Amino acid sequence: MVKRLKDMPGVEARHLAHIECPTYDDTPSLAGKPLAQRRVAIISTAGLHKRGDRPFRLGDGSYRVIPAETPASDLVMSHISVNFDRTGFQQDLNVVFPIDRLRELVAEGSVGSMASVHYSFMGAFPPAAAEPHAQHLAGLLKADKVDAALLVPV
Amino acid sequence: MGALGHFLERQGIPTTGISLVREHTETVRPPRALWVTFELGRPLGRPDDPPFQRRVTKAALDLLERTDGPLIADYPEHVDEPADFSGWACPINLAPTEVDSLAAEIDRLATWHDRAVAAQGRTTVGVSGLDVPAAGALVSEALNGTLPPAQALKEALDDLRAYYLEAASAFPDPGSPATRKKWFWEETKLARAMLALQPKLAASDDQHHKILGNLTMIPATERHRLG
Repeated sequence: MVKRLKDMPGVEARHLAHIECPTYDDTPSLAGKPLAQRRVAIISTAGLHKRGDRPFRLGDGSYRVIPAETPASDLVMSHISVNFDRTGFQQDLNVVFPIDRLRELVAEGSVGSMASVHYSFMGAFPPAAAEPHAQHLAGLLKADKVDAALLVPV
Repeated sequence: MGALGHFLERQGIPTTGISLVREHTETVRPPRALWVTFELGRPLGRPDDPPFQRRVTKAALDLLERTDGPLIADYPEHVDEPADFSGWACPINLAPTEVDSLAAEIDRLATWHDRAVAAQGRTTVGVSGLDVPAAGALVSEALNGTLPPAQALKEALDDLRAYYLEAASAFPDPGSPATRKKWFWEETKLARAMLALQPKLAASDDQHHKILGNLTMIPATERHRLG
């Protein structure tokens, strides 16, 4: 049940243990408004994009744009990794990209509002390849008055 | 994933996130992370369970009020392992035969895929821009003739795998995702073609073919099937 690497099947654990993770100096956590007044964007690293957008490629640190009104039926996944389940996504977009859940939290008043545009990276990026794109993205989020990002891996 | 927390928070955007691999998050140390014990590929835990997904989403967002990061909070709910349907067998004869072809297998699944699309209201096929028979033809060409560019082959395989697993979800007795993946790897012509392609890709002079063959085509959990 508890998925520490030592609890996982050997093959999967060995694969995950071999992924090199970058290290950074600690980043100070920014203070902000109460959640009920925040505007939230979802940033996925599942390699999601609209059908017809450029699929992700090896080493790709860029992002794809997912406007809030995008129907689930328009989204596909081109992550380079085959080492995670995709049947959940095939069954229900929200298990990887909880846009309807965010919409509900806004409707009930727990969250202030939802960004007009959300984004997806492909998580197997080399961090150095993604950093300039993320910096640019921060500007776009501010322009959309976003003051909280929900980072969702796959 | 955690790297984006550093990048965005340093640019003035407060971040929170979900962590699927605690050890990775402990190394990367993003500002805020909610650690969940769910299967990789299912960061919100359970498909078609909005209340469960809403609780996870809310728990991650509630971390925004904390400024004592880097922090990792443990999510208290777990998802039970899927039941073992070891006796499950595909109720329709999709097993490859000597006279069968990949194209025929793909064609036979079409009616089940149609049913899956009708039930789900969507398909996740459509990365490559090829229709499914053309994606199958590209795989056959790769196996029997010249290797196409690795990216084109990868996209075609992504689409085919989605097509097969979506189709299988509409079988009269669909079993569980785990049994459908077992069916895919043990009984389909496509999986057999992928396993046969692996050595050819690994032996190619093209670095991208090698990566596809060695890393991004056969899941780590299925590599034991390679000869």
